[in-house]
Amino acid sequence: MILLGEMSLWIALLVAGWACVTSFTGGVLRRQDLIASGERAVYATWGFVVVASLGLWTALVQHDFSLRYVASYTSRNLPHLYTLSAFWAGQAGSMLFWALILTTYSAIAVWSNRNRNRVLMPYVSGVLAAVTLFFLATICFGDSPFERLPYDVIDGNGMNPQLQNPGMAFHPPNLYLGYVATTVPFAFAIAALITRRLDAEWLAAVRRWALVSWFFLTIGITLGMWWAYVELGWGGYWAWDPVENASLLPWLTGTAFLHSIMIQEKRGMLRKWNVVLVVSTFLLAILGTFITRSGVIQSVHSFAQSPVGVWFGALLVIALSVTTYLVVTRLHNLEAKAELESMLSREAAFLYNNVLLVGIAFSVMWGTLFPILSEAVRGTKITVGPPFFNAVNVPLGLLLLALTGIGPLIAWRRTSVSNVRRQFAVPAFTAIVVGAVLLVLGMREWHALVAYILAGFVSGTILQEFYKGVGARMRMHGENPIMAFVRLVARNRRRYGGYIVHAGVVMLFCAFAGLAFKREFDVTLTTGQAFRATDPYGHAWRFVSDGISRFDALNRQVTAVTLKPWRDGRAMPLIESEKRQHVDSRGQPTFEPSTAVGIYEKPSQDVYVVFTGQTAPDTAEIRITFNPLVWWVWYGGMVMALGGLIVMWPASDRTRAQSGYAAVMRPAARPSPADAAL
Amino acid sequence: MSRHRHTESYTRRDFLIAAAVGVAGVALPRRARGQDTQQSGEQDGQGVTQGPRTTMSGPMNESAYRPVVLPPKPGAKPSMSDGQRDALEHQLHCQCGCTLDVFTCRTTDFTCPVSPPMHHDIVNLVLGGYTAAEILDAFRKTYGERVLMSPVREGFNWAGYVAPFVALGGATVAVAALIRRWRGVTAGVTGDAAASLPADAPAATPDEMARLDAAIRDDER
Repeated sequence: MILLGEMSLWIALLVAGWACVTSFTGGVLRRQDLIASGERAVYATWGFVVVASLGLWTALVQHDFSLRYVASYTSRNLPHLYTLSAFWAGQAGSMLFWALILTTYSAIAVWSNRNRNRVLMPYVSGVLAAVTLFFLATICFGDSPFERLPYDVIDGNGMNPQLQNPGMAFHPPNLYLGYVATTVPFAFAIAALITRRLDAEWLAAVRRWALVSWFFLTIGITLGMWWAYVELGWGGYWAWDPVENASLLPWLTGTAFLHSIMIQEKRGMLRKWNVVLVVSTFLLAILGTFITRSGVIQSVHSFAQSPVGVWFGALLVIALSVTTYLVVTRLHNLEAKAELESMLSREAAFLYNNVLLVGIAFSVMWGTLFPILSEAVRGTKITVGPPFFNAVNVPLGLLLLALTGIGPLIAWRRTSVSNVRRQFAVPAFTAIVVGAVLLVLGMREWHALVAYILAGFVSGTILQEFYKGVGARMRMHGENPIMAFVRLVARNRRRYGGYIVHAGVVMLFCAFAGLAFKREFDVTLTTGQAFRATDPYGHAWRFVSDGISRFDALNRQVTAVTLKPWRDGRAMPLIESEKRQHVDSRGQPTFEPSTAVGIYEKPSQDVYVVFTGQTAPDTAEIRITFNPLVWWVWYGGMVMALGGLIVMWPASDRTRAQSGYAAVMRPAARPSPADAAL
Repeated sequence: MSRHRHTESYTRRDFLIAAAVGVAGVALPRRARGQDTQQSGEQDGQGVTQGPRTTMSGPMNESAYRPVVLPPKPGAKPSMSDGQRDALEHQLHCQCGCTLDVFTCRTTDFTCPVSPPMHHDIVNLVLGGYTAAEILDAFRKTYGERVLMSPVREGFNWAGYVAPFVALGGATVAVAALIRRWRGVTAGVTGDAAASLPADAPAATPDEMARLDAAIRDDER
């Protein structure tokens, strides 16, 4: 199976090359036989990559340490889940995993368009096959997971302990599913540019793919934050690390596209902008991969410097050059079909929203790449860390939050002053109440205060929209509130699913603002010794060290410290933090020791305990952190993903037929005096 | 029309050339092997041996520490509380090779040999009566600008802070200009638009048109 897998990889490379050539040639010459052959080759490529992937998984499960990849990332005592997830733990395997997702998406895209978009499809297949060809070539010629070692190995190196976490088993696949899904809209955009069919047809084809990408990126980023929080032990979930930033960039431009696509669908505007956003989202996904794999920027999450970084750099340059040329030569095909009627309209709000989202994406990319620029210009190495990103992005983020609440309150085309007054009353009142309450309670952190006031405003907007919608259904159909709510969302998934996403955004911003009240304590405790601290809510906590214990687990030696916490005199559950020294199957230490964080989790705050060191057999150095509202990050992410799922859920034909309006009416001529007399 | 055909043929050629360049770019890099930075061991014929020590971000630079020592100020008292000192440590980048600040690194990675002595230097400077700005400056003189978690707001570094806002401002101005232009165009075509409607379009009174407009807008919301 392993040999078959390796052979399949090479065959897949050839077949992808065939798919690319025949698809483009078929499209240019309008030869149906070549087009059909190209599409069949796309399916065949998928089949061969599946076989190659099964080959690698087989090697991992069978502990075939003759493969360098298997020996490098697994060991005999590695738990089964992580043996399987080792597929994407290293450079070569993750590239194959990327190719597996890409070919699967390609096959789905070709199959689902077998009777649609036939003019575009040869070029769509061609672009998808070209990108697949790039990845397969990178694997075959650059870094293959099937490379064999010239000697026998008794046991493998094992997996980095920090990757032995459920979050890390699921975070990369979701991120890859999101990154790779950007390729399909990109392929459609290129096809539309080549064929000059830049109407709404290609947009309809890519909208769901853009949502798929956004959905998986949202889940992947949230899981990544969760992993960093529970595994790395630094007490936070977002450090503005270059690789974290790289995942955020396509998410930001993808979010901008999902808003601006509505303007093109409804008003025929922003046609150039949408093409630019689709292309940018793909290029930023590739840029992220380049950053992760080139070693050009230091990061917690990066792979080592390797030649594939150069390959990705080349892909980036080529893709950017080709798409820039195509866009520039087709600008006249991308003129808007309608014009903006008012600066106070939904489409204008979406425009501002796009400017902000892309502005944030630019600032994140700028900050990520600024150390390289600084070194090139001044020859001085600098660090661009959280203080920089927070200084630049917090104001932009707050503006974006404000627009999240304002946008839904404004009507399409134009809004009257009376309409504004009516629509804004409840959200503004909610914001004022929230602000007043927080000020009375003594909150003086102005960033957090503004965030909560705006969160109140957006919540007011969302609640008002649901209240009106549910009320209307109850009146019109006599439904009870729950049924009215369910049907309201089901009948208009895009709108109300979008509001659910906004609710998730509010939860996230509330959680982010909670960081302003984080409290950290660095303490040394001997067994039986107590430490007292006050949390951000004013509760008095007492932590008593229950001692240090040592024991062996499956593939590690554990040293653990246990704390007995009391809050306002009431006993709370024990909190245990561990230091782990992973060992191989012979009991020999592997890797540096790692930390397992102890967390007492509540929606109001986390008590986060890290065993940082040991100064005597019964004396532990401990960091205790009160992290307010962190829980809301994970659940905010889930709510956003749920909203995204609702938005992209396929609509029934009946619902689709009801949307839009086709009748064109013209104003009646003024009745003549004679008509009036009659 | 001829221009259209010309552009198309040029694009095909251009695309093929680009594809050829891409293939060449893919084929050129040498075959080489890399391993995740997070892997510390090297395989040998017998099993596993320990490689160089690593941080969460790559190889650990164990000899990166350089003392930052200044004589205490006359009659010195601690210049800040422990909480303020911890906040100050969040502004200094540990030099072990990780991406963390001194406080986070020393309380997270207990194998780091660099952040604890950096912490001790900070403690001594605080006890010596030095202010946060003075301590940051002393570290900057010893390690260079990279020891700060964010660039100092001076010289070329201003580009880092200002560029996002300049870009955003430029985009806002461009959008405003675009909207103004669009609105101008709309105002110019409104009259013609009504005249260009199909002759068989059903007639409607102004009141009906207003209600239809409101209904459409409500539907679109």
